[in-house]
Amino acid sequence: MPIDYQQIYTRIKEIGQGAQERRRKKEEAQASARALLNTYASELEYLRSKVDSAKQADSNTRCALPINESLASHYPIPDSVIQATLIAADGSQINPDRHAAIQFCVVNVGAIQMKLNSGETPEIFTDTELLYGDDLLPNGYPMSDGLVALKRDLAERTKLDELSKGLQGSVVTFTDGPIELWGAKGEDANSYEAIVQKYLGVLSRLQERGVITAGYVDKPSADLVVRLLEIAFADNEQIQKMREFHPLRGVSDRWLYGEHNNPLLPPGHRSAVFGIQSTSEKKYTGILSLHFFYLNVGTEGHPWIVRVEIPKWVADDKSKLDLLHGVLVEQCRMMGSKPYPYLLHRAHETAVVKMEEKQQIEQMLAMELRNHGEEMDDGSYKQSAKDLPGRTKR
Amino acid sequence: MTQQIEIGRLLRAGTTGFVAGCRVNQLDAPVFGALIRAPLGEGYQVYGIIHDIHIDDDGLVRQLVTSNNVSDDVMRDNRENRIVPVEMSVLAVGYEQDGKVHHLLPPRPPLSLDVIYLCDDKDLVRFTERFGYFRHILNGKDVPVGEVLAAHILQAGKAHEKDGETWKSKATQEIITLLRDDYPTLMSVLGALGEVIQ
Repeated sequence: MPIDYQQIYTRIKEIGQGAQERRRKKEEAQASARALLNTYASELEYLRSKVDSAKQADSNTRCALPINESLASHYPIPDSVIQATLIAADGSQINPDRHAAIQFCVVNVGAIQMKLNSGETPEIFTDTELLYGDDLLPNGYPMSDGLVALKRDLAERTKLDELSKGLQGSVVTFTDGPIELWGAKGEDANSYEAIVQKYLGVLSRLQERGVITAGYVDKPSADLVVRLLEIAFADNEQIQKMREFHPLRGVSDRWLYGEHNNPLLPPGHRSAVFGIQSTSEKKYTGILSLHFFYLNVGTEGHPWIVRVEIPKWVADDKSKLDLLHGVLVEQCRMMGSKPYPYLLHRAHETAVVKMEEKQQIEQMLAMELRNHGEEMDDGSYKQSAKDLPGRTKR
Repeated sequence: MTQQIEIGRLLRAGTTGFVAGCRVNQLDAPVFGALIRAPLGEGYQVYGIIHDIHIDDDGLVRQLVTSNNVSDDVMRDNRENRIVPVEMSVLAVGYEQDGKVHHLLPPRPPLSLDVIYLCDDKDLVRFTERFGYFRHILNGKDVPVGEVLAAHILQAGKAHEKDGETWKSKATQEIITLLRDDYPTLMSVLGALGEVIQ
């Protein structure tokens, strides 16, 4: 028996019984959040000072940092974008598998470039990097899945930098997910640091050429603005223990800006631009410091809130911000009932590595190694057992 | 010299027919009912008639059609970049070996990625001098027999130029003879032919 459904059933019933209580608490928190937003929407100076206090108490404080726009402000879609070059990149990877016969790793980046209203067919690009042998032991540590993901993120942004070179006019580049690099800093801090430094170099090059770059976060789960409201609400004692202070738990920024029946952001509108208060501010400094805004890419009656991360040089330049805003809304509208930037989907289609492709690379590598008389390891028996056909296969 | 109009490459094949694929921007040349050929070297080539042109959708296309407007950029990207080939189903109707045309099923089908060409008027006239290949069309499963014959006879009649009307008349007589014991099919085929024969 793969699953004890009796246990699952009992637990599901318990979850169902708690639904009303959870809903009541959530609605209370949502009402508080809405009230706090109304109270503090224009108190930007006060909010910044509270964030400073929270940061002094806990340097890991993570929340939105108001810049110069009211928390409740919203801005309509600018004029239609006529001329711009859009480039989207996405990546996928094959992680090293210690149970496999051959240890290897692949980082694949797909990118697509579209010159709006040019009459030219969009161009597609793919970069594939195969890592083998010593490549998989940076600084003597086996490469972790987290490090591979970082290499992929770096490769995506590097591809945007490479493709945007020499282009005339406005260039808008974007990737899926945040601009901020996330990853395990644990066992191989040197590799992490090296990748971050290269990444910052790429961002700097994009900035020097005035290329707009952004990270598009679909269905964001972060509560950066809600956390800001909690900080605003906290008294001096509570602010010393913010990790334990969550009066608005259960309220998300998505709800705050995109409440189904009464969205703060009408369709196509963006929110205020915020800075991101987090430990990453030590790395992303000055013109590279990270900002974000929320954007309703949905339609009337169907709000869909996404978060768009941008560096400071984009946040500071209204024409760049407007162009990015307009491009993203238009890109999302191309996808009809489930808005998501068309080019990001195409970049994903280009980048994604399928299981058959992984097997093909493995076979090609095995053949080459055998042809050169290199000794081959076997796959683990554990994996072999898992691969058996029949009822035990999931 | 025969003008070579490439219309696609072979995707999959059997003795009685095959399926060719092409990019959307190659779709100008192949038409329903057209005679095509797949040269396989050493004086051997397979002939077939296109009886279906099929364009598959996928998840993205299904989503894009729900959009209010699909921009030219997106149209071009989907038609020229995305790997969704237009599929042409072809009924094998004969082959050529060492310069001699046979209206028999080919000894071996073309292979994956073999290039498929549209037959020019000269090829068409040479292949349709006799009507032995009609039985392949009439026996074709899942083939809209009347429509295929009507489209083919219209195209072949034009290729025969001044002898076109005579050729079409003979072709019709042949079809009546072949279908004399199958009245419902005969009526259906003649109904379609009525659209192309004056």
